[in-house]
Amino acid sequence: MAENQEKEDWEPKIVAIVCNWCTYAGADLAGISRIQYPSNVRILRVPCTGRINPFYIVKALQEGADGVLVSGCHPGECHYLTGNLIARRKFALLKSFLSYIGVEGDRTLFTWVSASEGERFAKVIRQVTGAVKALGPANRLVKQ
Amino acid sequence: MENIETRLREEAARLLAEKKVDVVIGYEPGTLPLVATPCFITAPEDAGRLVFNPFCVQNLAKFVTDLIAAHRDSQKRLKKEEKTKKIIGIVARGCTSRSLVIQLQERQYGREEVVILGVPCNGYVDNKKMAALLEGQEVREGRLQGDKILVTTARMDKEILLAQVTADNCLTCRFNNPVIQDVMLAEAAPARDVSGEYAPVEKLSRLADAERWDYFMKEMDKCIRCYACRNACPSCYCRSCFVEQSQPQWIGLGPDRSDSEVFQIMRLYHMAGRCVDCGSCIAVCPMNIDLRSYLKKLDSDGWNLFGHRAGATLEEPALLSTFAESDGQDFAFEPE
Repeated sequence: MAENQEKEDWEPKIVAIVCNWCTYAGADLAGISRIQYPSNVRILRVPCTGRINPFYIVKALQEGADGVLVSGCHPGECHYLTGNLIARRKFALLKSFLSYIGVEGDRTLFTWVSASEGERFAKVIRQVTGAVKALGPANRLVKQ
Repeated sequence: MENIETRLREEAARLLAEKKVDVVIGYEPGTLPLVATPCFITAPEDAGRLVFNPFCVQNLAKFVTDLIAAHRDSQKRLKKEEKTKKIIGIVARGCTSRSLVIQLQERQYGREEVVILGVPCNGYVDNKKMAALLEGQEVREGRLQGDKILVTTARMDKEILLAQVTADNCLTCRFNNPVIQDVMLAEAAPARDVSGEYAPVEKLSRLADAERWDYFMKEMDKCIRCYACRNACPSCYCRSCFVEQSQPQWIGLGPDRSDSEVFQIMRLYHMAGRCVDCGSCIAVCPMNIDLRSYLKKLDSDGWNLFGHRAGATLEEPALLSTFAESDGQDFAFEPE
């Protein structure tokens, strides 16, 4: 990441951890529908947001991601019925805890995008990229 | 206090003699003055070694999972019908009993495998506070007299009020009586004033982002990653801990400061809904890291967001193993 920070035309790197059944399909739909969105996200597909170990998020920040986005099915629409509801608790605590220790709140973002919401996915990515860009390169918690 | 100890010894001796338990985990006098150390009593005639006083610091629940795991390992090669259970008696004050509740909620063993000897608790002595009052001098002799500790060091005799050296977590303890027990050995202790319970969290929350980060960095830079906090914590009973994993390697082994930070973040986060504020990790930390400000934050979030207090009752499931449809999601990002 160090070399990235030196560049003047810095572009953020955002890790998007998305669930297979909703957001990944939503991203697919955005692609098929040819909706433009910034290419700053690197998508990681997981079976369900409930499968995401909160460590993934912390680790992504340590390894140099400027922002981490987690997105899954809307509450109540989980493919595995309750996976995202369990995840919701974990993320509520993690987000609050990370901002408490001083990692900027906009570096870790959580949202819901369903398979039919291609437009919403593109919108989320645009706004998340904007928010992370506004913060500038990550320097807290980053491994040197 | 005398009274509790007499009852404790009687009860432990009786349980051992009647073979109701295989071992009693308690405290015995340490080899230094004003120190108590965990001990394992297996014969009724040894029950006289047990003590219970304000020098009993460590949370004994840690040893329950250890002993049961070791026992199960030793029986690995036996046929199913030959396997026996090891019944453990444990001296438990409020925080220890809450740790037991957590281990039971997480199904580490059955309720029938522990016999809980409940003791009321008025707080324990924080050795770091005491050392500060004694200006770092070594304690030659010391004894407890009422609510005072009489200490003799090489250069002075000092009278210290117990309240002066009581650990921070004990001063605002909400659960100073056991939440579950099989026998209660004395009258319940009077409730503490818990109004300042979240004072460290409030103090830190008032700072700006960058200042909080600086404070976190300053504290975690002290960490030498000895993992004493993990080893002392009754909620850290995993056989293989993430810090030692190499596939994937979560925590780098080099001197990079971010590795200590990530280790601390993850250990602390693992305590969400599982930290009973027993202060064992803080007592054993050789670098005196302010872990409590962070652990209390998780505790206060658990309570404010989900109405959950770690280990408060066996009837409720663990914080992160359940959910409610009505859980708040203000934290979620909503595009405009």
